[in-house]
Amino acid sequence: MTFLLRRIAFYLAAFITAATINFFLPRLMPGDPIEIMFASAGSELSLENLNALKLTFGFIDAPLHEQYLAYLKSVFTGDLGRSIKYFPLPVSELLGRALVWTLGLVGTATIVSFSLGTILGIMAAWRRGKLFDSVVSLIAIFSSSVPAIVVSLILLFVFGYTLRWFPNGYAADPLLDPGLNWTYVSSVIYHGTLPMLTLVLVLTGGFAVTMRNNMINLLGEDYIVMGRAKGLSDSHVMLWYAARNALLPTVSSLAIAMGTVLGGSLIVEVVFNYPGLGNTLYQAILARDYPVIQGQLLIMTGAMLISNFVVDLSYLLLDPRLKKA
Amino acid sequence: MTLLKQLMSNRKAVVGLTLLILIILVAIFAPVLTEYSPVKRVGRPHQPPSWDHWLGTTRLGHDVFSRLVYGARVSLAVGFGAGLMITVVGTVLGIIAGYRGGVVDEVINFFTNMVLVVPNLPLLLVLAAFIGQASPLVIAIILGATSWAWGVRVTRAETLSIRQRDYIKSAEMLGEPAWRIMAFEIFPNLLSIVGINLIGSVIFAVIAEATLEFLGLGDPNTVSWGIMLFNAQNASALSVGAWWDLLSPCLALALLGLSLALLNFAIDEVANPRLRTGGMLKSWTRMVRLGEGKL
Repeated sequence: MTFLLRRIAFYLAAFITAATINFFLPRLMPGDPIEIMFASAGSELSLENLNALKLTFGFIDAPLHEQYLAYLKSVFTGDLGRSIKYFPLPVSELLGRALVWTLGLVGTATIVSFSLGTILGIMAAWRRGKLFDSVVSLIAIFSSSVPAIVVSLILLFVFGYTLRWFPNGYAADPLLDPGLNWTYVSSVIYHGTLPMLTLVLVLTGGFAVTMRNNMINLLGEDYIVMGRAKGLSDSHVMLWYAARNALLPTVSSLAIAMGTVLGGSLIVEVVFNYPGLGNTLYQAILARDYPVIQGQLLIMTGAMLISNFVVDLSYLLLDPRLKKA
Repeated sequence: MTLLKQLMSNRKAVVGLTLLILIILVAIFAPVLTEYSPVKRVGRPHQPPSWDHWLGTTRLGHDVFSRLVYGARVSLAVGFGAGLMITVVGTVLGIIAGYRGGVVDEVINFFTNMVLVVPNLPLLLVLAAFIGQASPLVIAIILGATSWAWGVRVTRAETLSIRQRDYIKSAEMLGEPAWRIMAFEIFPNLLSIVGINLIGSVIFAVIAEATLEFLGLGDPNTVSWGIMLFNAQNASALSVGAWWDLLSPCLALALLGLSLALLNFAIDEVANPRLRTGGMLKSWTRMVRLGEGKL
């Protein structure tokens, strides 16, 4: 229990740090912070609306610490301000819509690449030093040195524009009405294939190598030797003795990978014009829509912290020693 | 000296280093390699590769090859500049935290973990957005200031194990000052980790710079691979069939990444001969754990 409480306190501190960065950044820039943030809003927004927006970001006539508290208050009440580009629309709503697509994309890609990588890793460790092992490592080297931005652009060029097997953008056919019917769902799957493939290509190698090395490190342990001595089959020892225990550090590498996954999805969404957080951010950057850009950092930090927390929880389940501690 | 000699007998090191030196030479001798200015209109827009324009032209009629070779300068400068900053900060903080322990360690470790859970790329984007049209120098500084946390974690962990060794104990008994122990007893034993951290950070910085510029946060007047991607994307290079405009900087980035990654594996193999058969993989895992090499 104390383990969980300590983690939660830490995550809270991390979230406040991100909010603090958001608060101080416009104020640290040379020039008038209000001018910087709302320059493009001046002509489009009424004075009343502009004042409400300033209030959200703590631009009140008060000392700095009171401004800071006012800003934290709006953040913790879920008020991230309003988008300047799509004015009356609240940032939380804009990003909330996009978040669904990103979570779907990132979630599926993570599950697929984690499972695939883990299986490949187990098989490579099983046949270590053999051809299969070398092939897995070769794939891993290439996927490590080629960034997501390059992989996605090449996939888009080959499968989107040249072979025309997959669409070049959007999360679903824009002519269809969203709904839980097969036509719409299949369109979502069809449109999501290339973005997901990019993420899987970039991620799988890492999981495979982590799993393989964990397995190989465990093979010298006493309980493995005992399993062998008992006359258990090779596959039984591999799967039920080595793989089970090797999974633990792999799960923690999953938490670390979340930052990479979120960053990767950001690029992939821009390249494939996918309506998730990354693409929303891209549009916001082009329009200098600062409330959206700042809200993005908070939402992404939140997503990162929640996924870390889930990993903490699964750790608690996988490693009984933590419960006693 | 023996380290260098060993590196030279490692095939991966030779291939990686050759590639890297080739890219560096291309960057240095850019004016010799191409007669075209990278910023002048030298042909009709979106010409396919030809004898006159080896890699075709952009929508603005710039020569792609000349932008590519001049752009290598920026990528290398940002990569090595930011990579060096990240490594110096990470190594110094990591050694201090690991050796000093106590409150100093608690504080450094807390901030490190904090930086690790705030997602790096969105943070970079917010910073760059407020600075506006960030020049390569500014991008390098932002990268250096925000990306040191992994280096601290790895260096600290290794320092913690070295601190227990006998020769450190005896140096302490002899009354050597703490800074001397950290600089001359611990640091030399971390060289392979520092090297791997440095090269991993260079890869990270090169990719991060290209990504920020691709997203439109860079200075559009810079001649760099990221700006090339940005311009090509804005000109809808793929949908009008001008693949050379977009794929040239892509391949250049992949090649630079590959050369550095190969070097990284080689350093690890030389530093830990025990790993030699599977060493490449181990260093690769470490890179992945560092969260570097891709974004």
